[in-house]
Amino acid sequence: MKPMLSTELDVAAEPAAETAKIEVRHLNFHYGQSKALKDISLSLPARSVTAFIGPSGCGKSTLLRCFNRIYELYPRQSADGEILLDGRNILDRSQDLNLLRTRIGMVFQKPTPFPMSIYENIAFGVRLYEKLPKSEMDGRVEHALKRAALWTEVKDKLDASGLSLSGGQQQRLCIARTVAVKPEVILLDEPASALDPLSTAKIEELIDELKDDYTIVIVTHNMQQAARVSSKTAFMYLGELIEFDKTEKIFTSPREKRTQDYITGRFG
Amino acid sequence: MTLVATAQSMRDREATVRRFALTDTIFHNTAKGAAILVLLILSGVAISLVAGSWEALSKFGPAFLTTESWNPVTENFGALAPIYGTVVTSAVAILIAVPIGIGIAIFLTELCPRPLRRPIGIAVELLAGIPSIIYGIWGLFVFAPFLQTTVQPFLIALFKNIPVLNSVFAGPPYGIGMLTSALILAIMVLPFITSITKDVFDTVPSVLKESAYGIGCTTWEVMRRIVVPYTRVGIMGGVMLGLGRALGETMAVTFVIGNAHRISASLLAPGTTISATIANEFTEADGDLYTSSLVALGLILFVLTFLILALARYMLMRIERKAGA
Amino acid sequence: MTVAAATSLHSRRKVRNSAMMTLCVVAAGIGLAWLALILGALVWKGLAGVNLAVFTEMTPPPGDAGGLLNAIYGSVVMTVIAVAVGTPVGVMAGTYMAEYGRFSKLTTVVRFINDILLSAPSIIIGLFVYELVVRPMGHFSALAGAVALAILVIPVVVRTTEDMLNLVPNTLREAGTAIGAPRWIVIRSVAYRAALSGIVTGILLSIARISGETAPLLFTALNNQFWSSNLNAPMASLPVTIFQFALSPYEEWQQLAWTGALIITLTVLGLSIFARSLTGRREDR
Repeated sequence: MKPMLSTELDVAAEPAAETAKIEVRHLNFHYGQSKALKDISLSLPARSVTAFIGPSGCGKSTLLRCFNRIYELYPRQSADGEILLDGRNILDRSQDLNLLRTRIGMVFQKPTPFPMSIYENIAFGVRLYEKLPKSEMDGRVEHALKRAALWTEVKDKLDASGLSLSGGQQQRLCIARTVAVKPEVILLDEPASALDPLSTAKIEELIDELKDDYTIVIVTHNMQQAARVSSKTAFMYLGELIEFDKTEKIFTSPREKRTQDYITGRFG
Repeated sequence: MTLVATAQSMRDREATVRRFALTDTIFHNTAKGAAILVLLILSGVAISLVAGSWEALSKFGPAFLTTESWNPVTENFGALAPIYGTVVTSAVAILIAVPIGIGIAIFLTELCPRPLRRPIGIAVELLAGIPSIIYGIWGLFVFAPFLQTTVQPFLIALFKNIPVLNSVFAGPPYGIGMLTSALILAIMVLPFITSITKDVFDTVPSVLKESAYGIGCTTWEVMRRIVVPYTRVGIMGGVMLGLGRALGETMAVTFVIGNAHRISASLLAPGTTISATIANEFTEADGDLYTSSLVALGLILFVLTFLILALARYMLMRIERKAGA
Repeated sequence: MTVAAATSLHSRRKVRNSAMMTLCVVAAGIGLAWLALILGALVWKGLAGVNLAVFTEMTPPPGDAGGLLNAIYGSVVMTVIAVAVGTPVGVMAGTYMAEYGRFSKLTTVVRFINDILLSAPSIIIGLFVYELVVRPMGHFSALAGAVALAILVIPVVVRTTEDMLNLVPNTLREAGTAIGAPRWIVIRSVAYRAALSGIVTGILLSIARISGETAPLLFTALNNQFWSSNLNAPMASLPVTIFQFALSPYEEWQQLAWTGALIITLTVLGLSIFARSLTGRREDR
């Protein structure tokens, strides 16, 4: 549980304007010839949870995947515009992609444990950039698993294959592996959509704890989930950003009619 | 301890990332190089065959393909007998193997009880794994004597009074010869045809078969009217693949073909194939023209199998695309 | 159509169906019978000559008793070298095709060429290596034999590596990339690991393939009556020895040929079955 003290400190240290961790300016995205994102601009505050919602195909996952430039794996996909991480444009040619991904981590819709032991799953990412003695690595693994609320369930079987865990546990393993490398931003692409309600609740609890240390962006097709976890929400439709505002406002008195229609279930 | 980034950790990462970029480039280029090497190997084969056969081809010209004589003494070489042997043995082999192969495929997909399917399928594929030389030694010591004492005299007697066929099956029963080679080739090629035919049969959407059964078709009618026409191209591809294999078979044929450089009308007579000729004579060949003629034979075989295998690949690609669509 | 005509048509169809289906069963029986006949003959004739001497003594001069030790040794040595050389090339090429160049034109061409090499007559590979290695060196050698075998190993390994890597889901690669791993580490630690059993199967199958190959060795490694571990000289091999011995008029040689054939067949079948058990082919519908 978060101590009341640090929240008060945060409020005192930062004045009314929140610092933008990620700022998107006039972003366009193409799959081959077709345009999937049209002139997107928005600002994501640090250490908060922002949700992207919208019907299937609206571009919310596409937008998320721009932040860690994972689309670069595929030749026919490209983005233009600017995405500023702490003021520096990460869409720039000179941005090293591997470095970027150490700062911005991602958890996918379908849990993807590596074909390794639970311990190795977590140590793998850490080892890429840090040379830690065994005791420190053990500590890091334990800490990451605790952070992902998985430690008590797996502490006696760290050598078991990551694939031997249940779906919900696998997803928490993926979260543990992401935080183990000390990112600044965590991207969650419908992280609970493949999970049962109990696991989903656990993930949502986790998100609430993680937001103290990380900037979190979550794509979800579950509006109630967005309302539960996020402080700001972006509604997207057909590749455009329709409305972006405080979550309470989006869900109680949105400005745009399309937003209203979506959240009341008129379409989507 | 918190799992939050610091300035120091950022600097450490930058050094690592530079190393990564270098290794990435090396790995990528090594992989690409290996892929290109595969291309180079085939080009190398083609080039070396052309270069090695140049002497013979320039001396004999296109007549090389139509001359039957093969005389190391007078250095007069002609490829007609080996080509004839190669084509005839392979053609007969295919004629025998295709119906049996398709029959086995039908058996495996429609008739065979489920638990037996895998073992029998594996058993047939094991036939493909048996090396050529085993077929050769078995052919020479077991099969040929058997044919000599039973099947061949039977065939000779059967067709003795029928015109045309009596020269195709003319004696004496050597045991070895073209027909024996063709039969052994048929056994060798059988598993390929079966396996590919079975795979393409499996690509037929079950709704298609179910609707045919639904209107009362017998199994045979479903196979003949629906499945085989649907998979026609794939089966052709399998047949071509089998043909390509048969054309290039060396050891099995060398043992039982009789190694006679002549063309006979009779299937029961000895003959030779391209690969058998090369296998038997290459190390003994003296004189550049002799060697070059043998390499020229190799070139002819290469071109022949390349064309057939390319055709087979093309046909199978079309079926794969159809199945994936 | 009258009822009688319809019924007779129906029974004709049934008869035809039964006849054809019986033929299919007969076909399967023929296939299995051949396998039994060949394996049976191998065991019958080969087993008779199996004794310790086969594995401890060299190939004898005509008319004498002996063993196959130098031939077995030669086969093993050349196979090991061929696999050691051919596997990395094959795995790297397959990696390029599945990981780096999945949709590139080069991959399409290489896949096509590779399939041709896979089914190409091995005697032609022998001719190629003769021109490439034996001629410049001036003599036959085990090295040339190993090179010829390596050229037979490569297409098998390329094919299985590419197929197995293509089966690895892309989300796994994305997960590796998302954690900051560079491409080569994603391939090495994620893709290879996921596809490992398949790739190993490919290597085993390639060994099975070259174990029985005779033609490519005929004019590269040639043969050697005596013990030799010199890579730069002709070396005996089991298949070529069998070839020589079987076609000879000497009984002892013929017996050794059968025993050698049995050894090769058991090795090849054993490897194939083992390889198959590693992956268990995509299951029957």
